[in-house]
Amino acid sequence: MMTTLTPDIAFKKEIEHISGSSLSTCMQCGVCSVVCNLSPDEQPFPRKEMVYAGWGMREKLIGNPDVWMCHQCGDCSTSCPRGVNPADVLAATREASYRHYATPAFMGRLLSRPALLPLAILLPVLIIAAIIWMAGTLSIPDGAVNYSLFFPHAWLNASFTGLTLLSYGVAAIGITRFWKDLNRFSYESAGAKTGFFASFWKVKNEILAHSRFGRCERNNSRKISHFLVFYGFILLLLVTLYAIYAAVTDKYPLSLDNPFKILGNVSSVMLFAGLGMMIFNRLTKREGTERSSYADWLFLAAMFLLTLSGVLVQAARFLDWQSAYHLYFFHLVCVWFVIIYLPFTKFGHLVYRTVALTYAFSVNRK
Amino acid sequence: MEKKLGIFICKGCRIGDAIGADSLCAKMMAELKPAVCHTHTALCSPAGMTFIADESRSAEVTGFVLAGCGRGTKDEVFRQENGILVERVNIREMVAWTMEPGAEDTVMAAEDYLRMGYAGLQQMTAVTPFILGDVSKEILVVGGGVAGLKAAIDGAENGYRVHLVEQAEGLGGWAARWQKQIPFDQPFSALRDPVVKGLINTVQQNDLITIHLNSSIERIDGQPGEFVVSLNGKHNTSLRVGSIVTATGWKPYRPDDKSLYGLGAVDGVITSVDLEAEVAAETMPRKDAVLFIQCAGSRDKEHLPYCSSVCCGISLKQAKYIRDRYPDTIVYIVYKDIRTPGFLEDFYKEIQDDPSIIFIRGAVNAVDQSGNRIGLKISDELLAETLMVEVDRVVLATGMVPNETTTLNLGYRLGKGIPELKYAFSDSHFICFPYETRRTGIYLAGGIRAPMDIPSAMEDGSGAMLKAIQMIEASIRGDAVHPRSGDQSYPELYLDRCTDCKRCTEECPFGTYDETSSGTPVVNPNRCRRCGICLGSCPERVISFADLSINMMSARIKAVEVPDEFEEKPRVLMFVCENDALPALEMAAREGMKINPYVRIIPVRCLGSVNRVWVSDALSKGYDGILQIGCKPGDDYQCHFIHGSELTGQRSESYEETLTSMMLEPERIRTEYVEITGASEIIAQIDAYMEEIELIGPNPFKDM
Repeated sequence: MMTTLTPDIAFKKEIEHISGSSLSTCMQCGVCSVVCNLSPDEQPFPRKEMVYAGWGMREKLIGNPDVWMCHQCGDCSTSCPRGVNPADVLAATREASYRHYATPAFMGRLLSRPALLPLAILLPVLIIAAIIWMAGTLSIPDGAVNYSLFFPHAWLNASFTGLTLLSYGVAAIGITRFWKDLNRFSYESAGAKTGFFASFWKVKNEILAHSRFGRCERNNSRKISHFLVFYGFILLLLVTLYAIYAAVTDKYPLSLDNPFKILGNVSSVMLFAGLGMMIFNRLTKREGTERSSYADWLFLAAMFLLTLSGVLVQAARFLDWQSAYHLYFFHLVCVWFVIIYLPFTKFGHLVYRTVALTYAFSVNRK
Repeated sequence: MEKKLGIFICKGCRIGDAIGADSLCAKMMAELKPAVCHTHTALCSPAGMTFIADESRSAEVTGFVLAGCGRGTKDEVFRQENGILVERVNIREMVAWTMEPGAEDTVMAAEDYLRMGYAGLQQMTAVTPFILGDVSKEILVVGGGVAGLKAAIDGAENGYRVHLVEQAEGLGGWAARWQKQIPFDQPFSALRDPVVKGLINTVQQNDLITIHLNSSIERIDGQPGEFVVSLNGKHNTSLRVGSIVTATGWKPYRPDDKSLYGLGAVDGVITSVDLEAEVAAETMPRKDAVLFIQCAGSRDKEHLPYCSSVCCGISLKQAKYIRDRYPDTIVYIVYKDIRTPGFLEDFYKEIQDDPSIIFIRGAVNAVDQSGNRIGLKISDELLAETLMVEVDRVVLATGMVPNETTTLNLGYRLGKGIPELKYAFSDSHFICFPYETRRTGIYLAGGIRAPMDIPSAMEDGSGAMLKAIQMIEASIRGDAVHPRSGDQSYPELYLDRCTDCKRCTEECPFGTYDETSSGTPVVNPNRCRRCGICLGSCPERVISFADLSINMMSARIKAVEVPDEFEEKPRVLMFVCENDALPALEMAAREGMKINPYVRIIPVRCLGSVNRVWVSDALSKGYDGILQIGCKPGDDYQCHFIHGSELTGQRSESYEETLTSMMLEPERIRTEYVEITGASEIIAQIDAYMEEIELIGPNPFKDM
């Protein structure tokens, strides 16, 4: 294979900054690739990625499927004789990828710079307020708590669905670029290519079973926490879809003994448990391995606040709290952060990783 | 003076019972008729020492055989200051500890060793050292680079007058041309100002150092203690010095006849020395990208097969030159391995931390002009990819090549320079004898000796100067220097019988012999290292030492009682080199291994000192075979006298002739090599040879 060296020192510094790893410290011994249970035998990662990162070879890292095959178990970082953290370097590369493929590009910047956080908050606050104002309900209603008095369900469902579709639609341009970039990477894998859908089907099964996470050695509790958050979120999504249906069919609000309501609350418990584990893990990480970046915390915080505010909004309704509508507004901002901002935050891994794995499976790289 | 000899047999260290010391003494008394024969429970004890002194005084002996432990053990205890000769016979390791205690064969071996010792003692004369009338205490240092400067300073600080000769018009050598020096201690983050300026100042201010600039050596004659040096310079001078430190340095490798990564062919390809000159002249231009090629012509069969050890550090330093001046420049370093030994690793890590310095492990396959840039193809070893890169400048980290030592213009029979070892460096032995050369009293320091960095060259200067001082002091006492330190015997030639065959002058590893115009050897005793290779080489047997001669050894060989009946008792004579093989054998003894009781061991200074006549003496005497064991020859030689054991190999052809002419099987002589740690190997070598002798059968000369 021929590679033209075009070092991008700024990119190298960015990866070093995000990962907190000194790429130069890597002596390219390859222990990381050897201990990794997720890496294929042929052209294994993350050693080559470490070499590329040391050279500032942006185009060898952004759009590299192997970067997404990594699940950040941290086995490589634990075994690294030089104290470099390849797992964090790949995580940093993924983070740089969200920004690289972010369309429009300013959305990537908005959600990756701590300094822009006020603006990132202000944007949904203003837009949601504007929508409510357009609906003509921008005031705290009197009487028993009824959220539809504050934000009519039709307005809510229509605007949020529309904005989400807009966000995802524009982001799809970035995903397309990502897919093209993935195709630059060819591997000496045996046999014919697998079709896109067949590959996707296998990837889907893996994701549902969390089988990749299961191969992590040191950090295997991550499988449990991710599993809880993953299924908790999916179930809540289903509950939300049912709630929209209920609102449309005028069966809303749901009573506490409604099976969907129960499922929703069970799901929040799952989410709390999973998120709690994740936060605890990140706070108690051993010195120097698995650094948590701004993007990691932003996404975790958004998910956590989303779940927390959801539970509180429910409680406020049943208990008729005075601050119910403020909580509700806050909850909607959280929804915005998680759902509408999805392609530009760490939540984007949902799409990027699935796409990258689908590509990897299609070229028989497993 | 009439010789009156005695025998003392020590019974300590489990010797007495193993050999039956008292009956042995009685038997020797009857057979050899010494003036006295005594046994004692521990001769090395204060009581034993008094016993020896009293008994030898009352019997008025002029010398005695001391049977017990061998030479090298308790030498200081048994040294006699009153002119009494001592022949140490090692019946402890060679007999008592390694043969079955009390057995008939064991006792026979002990008897033979005593006979051999007594016969040797009868031929021995007292050693009178060779002492020059007027040993010069001045020291010549050739070369004014860091190694020479440090040597001169150390010599002067120890009170010796030093003559520092430099062919250039100023001191400092290469080191004075470097802009900055690689850091050599903490912190490794910053480059250092060169230390050479301070060394030059110190040298210039020391009254004991005479500096001869613009000078070269026309000729060096003489020997340690009295070298005569003629200088060519502004004033032609003649110096008389006791010893010499040669620090004539190195030159950068630059092949004339082979291409080296486009050097001289592609614009912008330069060497590290070229870059250093640009930096010093402040003419280093800004470039977008600079690429260093490590091991450029080093560790390469086509060029220099060795590693110069400094080039990695130099490129790291030069990368920093560039990065400190031009913050936008990208520096690539293509390497096989980065070699930054010791704490220099910290400097490597400092440089690694610069994100704009990119390390690529691989090999450069092509360097081509690409417009006004340089295009390179690199095969990356880690990724198994071919990398293409365009840069504006390529810096080759080329290695160090030693300068010629012939600039010393030695007036020696064996040539003007110092014999070269591996890769044209002239060191004597990298591990055992650093700084030494094969020209006694002339020591090497710095890049002439081995590729090295500035701190190492300075350390070399100190080391070589210590050797030079030691040489002068040894000359004053008439002592040999390493490895037979303190030996005062030296070769004496009975020239009436010399045929001027020149074998001694040619085979002496140290150039001890010059020749008269008619080819007669002339000994320079202070150049001698007392190995005895000349004695082994001489077909006319005219060379002897006071305590080692052809006749003495022949007498020892013939003193052994060789039984007529082979079936029971074959006899094999062993010449064992005392440097490595003998200690290995002694170690085997200490570890409880067994030596075949039919061998009779004679330690020799060097296998090269074995004279052909001893071989024929042994075979005529009826020995069934001769086994010689010495140090490993070859490029990575272990031989303390450089090529003693190698010469033995060459001489074995003539041994074979001897054997054939005597109608004997050539297999009766075997030469083996062993390292000092080879205790079990040497026992195995003996056992294997004894099996071979069983197969060959008895020496037909046995009963003649």
